[in-house]
Amino acid sequence: MPIQRRSFLAGTAAAATLASAPAIHAASKNKQYRTALIGAGWWGMNILREAMAGGQTKVVALCDVDSDRLEINAEEVTDLSGDTPRIYRDYRELFEKEDVEIAIIATPDHWHALNALAAIQAGAHVFIEKPTGHTIGESQAVLAASQAADRLVQVGLHRRIGPHHVSGMKFLKDGGAGDIGLVRMFVHSRGGAEKPTRNSEPPENLDWDMYCGPAPLRPYCRRIHPGGFRHFLDFANGTLGDWGVHWLDQMLWWSDQQSPDSVHSTGGRPIAGQAVLNDEEQTTDAPDHQTATYEFDSFTATWEHRKFAGQGPEQTSIGCYFFGTQGTFHIGWRDGWTFYPADSKKQVIHQDAELQEPDGHNLKLLYADFLRAIETGSRPVADITVGHQATTLALLGMLSMKLGRSVRWDAGAQQIVGDDEANGMLRRKYRQPWSYPEIG
Amino acid sequence: MPLYRCVVPELFLFVSFLGVSNCAAEDWYRWRGPDGDGISRETDWKCDWAGEGPDIAWSRSVGTGFSSVVVKDDRVFTLGHVDDQDKVYCINVADGEIIWTFGYPAELDDRDFEGGPISTPTIDGDRLYVMGRAGELFCLQISDGSKMWGINVADEAEVRLPGWGFSAAPLVIGDRLLLNVGESGVLVDKHSGDLIWSSDDRECGYASPVLIPNSDPTVAVIASGKAYIGVDVQSGEQLWAERWLTSFNCNAADPIFHDGKMLLCSGYNRGAALFDIGGTTPELIWKSKEMKNQIHTSILYQGYLYGIDGDMEAGARLRCMDWATGEIRWSVDDLRPGGLAMADGKLLLLTEPGELIIAPATPDGWEPIARGQVLDGKSWTSPVLSGGRIFCRSIQGQLVCIDCRD
Repeated sequence: MPIQRRSFLAGTAAAATLASAPAIHAASKNKQYRTALIGAGWWGMNILREAMAGGQTKVVALCDVDSDRLEINAEEVTDLSGDTPRIYRDYRELFEKEDVEIAIIATPDHWHALNALAAIQAGAHVFIEKPTGHTIGESQAVLAASQAADRLVQVGLHRRIGPHHVSGMKFLKDGGAGDIGLVRMFVHSRGGAEKPTRNSEPPENLDWDMYCGPAPLRPYCRRIHPGGFRHFLDFANGTLGDWGVHWLDQMLWWSDQQSPDSVHSTGGRPIAGQAVLNDEEQTTDAPDHQTATYEFDSFTATWEHRKFAGQGPEQTSIGCYFFGTQGTFHIGWRDGWTFYPADSKKQVIHQDAELQEPDGHNLKLLYADFLRAIETGSRPVADITVGHQATTLALLGMLSMKLGRSVRWDAGAQQIVGDDEANGMLRRKYRQPWSYPEIG
Repeated sequence: MPLYRCVVPELFLFVSFLGVSNCAAEDWYRWRGPDGDGISRETDWKCDWAGEGPDIAWSRSVGTGFSSVVVKDDRVFTLGHVDDQDKVYCINVADGEIIWTFGYPAELDDRDFEGGPISTPTIDGDRLYVMGRAGELFCLQISDGSKMWGINVADEAEVRLPGWGFSAAPLVIGDRLLLNVGESGVLVDKHSGDLIWSSDDRECGYASPVLIPNSDPTVAVIASGKAYIGVDVQSGEQLWAERWLTSFNCNAADPIFHDGKMLLCSGYNRGAALFDIGGTTPELIWKSKEMKNQIHTSILYQGYLYGIDGDMEAGARLRCMDWATGEIRWSVDDLRPGGLAMADGKLLLLTEPGELIIAPATPDGWEPIARGQVLDGKSWTSPVLSGGRIFCRSIQGQLVCIDCRD
């Protein structure tokens, strides 16, 4: 919907507040939550738009290390709501100055834990993007802090609540596929060799030192920001740490949150090529393909991704197959869910996806569930325990791949069994002056 | 990813035939055509391709790149990268034979995209002006490709290259050449290449300069990385700057002027806005996120904008938007548009996989009347209709001439 306006200030930073900007509100309930967004990029704005459209959100502040993104997105918030959010480069200053009831966190992964801990400490409930940590110790700290402070944390696992996921899970749990012995989780795409991107001075609008934060300060290149951090292991954990968290979570949901006894993963960059990082140029360094095996008591789950060859002969390039005695159940993204009976005389059963476009998510439902949980004091559908577990499994896969051997996981103790070197990898060294979050 | 880009309405001493149904062949001597609006005035062409498909008269390899073509006196000119060189091609329209080439050393520079040149040359009389990604600027003799002069305009003006290199077409204004280099342009003498004025060392955008029609003194609007800037062509003075931020400083669509108003449009969730430019600074009329031109400038026809909305890599949409209100009239989401042109009330859409689709330009909807496969491979360059032929080009450098003469 175009926004009609007759007021204009040349060259001002944030957009002028305009009385004529139509506020977009759903049927408004009384309670308006003072909301701040940390990490005002593409996905963060997707969440914030849904929060605003839900009608119980007053956006008080946006925070980002990129002043251009802040400016553009503050303008959009004003256009959509009439509110003029204050803008911050440093989340610590934001929590110092603002009274925030809800913090939405959509920064690159290596910032998730520090941002969430600051929000919890400031008394806010948190909507945090997955994964809940860049290393397992960070996620553990967020879990512990939220429980100690009695703050709700909803993790952005919108596939927990998307209609076809809910109905598909009911089909599975009702025994539609019979007894499941193997779950295969996968994401495949096209791709080839990766050419290095030239390093350059960070753009004037970007606080690169703050972007890197607790991660090593590496040379800037435009492949990293905006939006490219996921395949740089300093900042994220590649496809397994991104898509993998969603599909691991589907498997965990079906299994009633069981824990694997052991995890083993391998992967590499035979197609993308050796990772490059020098003064001149750099490439990403996440694996171009990876497989991981999660051994549970009564079933096995595998992860597989590759960023080459495309969909190939299979019917789908993304999702989970649940292989059971009655047949194969596929839960996917845009392709909904499909059950292929083992008895070929039986009918294939299918349900379409119901998604919000353009980005194909179900954030509206997830955010509404979050607010409902805050109002009723109940647990949100993708709360921190759920998010932490899916994150942990993804990060154990990354850890095993880097370590070059399998690990045994004690979920109760939140530790790897009998492997000091592996346990050392549950945390990472932070760059000064940042300190790794401690529990308690 | 910003790409090939280029020219603009130059209403300088130019006798327009607007309103006259002109059936004669028309030279397409610059980016976006004689009127700088992306519309050919030719009517003597047909697209009854049922059965045989389009008549591909010839196909030529012109190297990697995104440059569009310009056409004059039965010769077609474009740019492409081959073997460590950017090459300017002069090709005979009649048979596709190469008449001459002019090469200069250049990197393919295929980081982040396929690489190669991304601007479209400009014809002015018997001269051809060529802009390279790294700031190379050449004036060539059209007859034989001989170099009249050449400079590196970025070096001369002491300004940085934008992330993907220079992509704007040179704009001829009388004896001058206006370039989108530096924060708000560089003006050189078209006869010598001598610098007349330059602007600050900041990232330029990727759109080509456009003159505000009937402005006095003559004002050009130039896309920088962060704004569209009104510049007095005579002096280079910035008259106003409309701040316009996107990711990657990627302002790639040319501003569109009509009826005292200016449309700005960019991708990366920036969207579009219409401004009244009757006063000293632009005044916002409406803005919308529903048209996001990442690379391609929209085409305005009879009060409606036809444009490519969204991210080209992720799959963009073809849309029709009401100029006056910003309302979307229709949107086709599954076409994978690669480039757009218009002639005789019809849209010429080249899809990314190389299909050419013809459909009437109407706010009532998208109803193709002809279609045919014309290229193999990724195509993101706008087609050009001139002399009853349609020229289409793929990124990998296949240039085809489709004979549509009656």
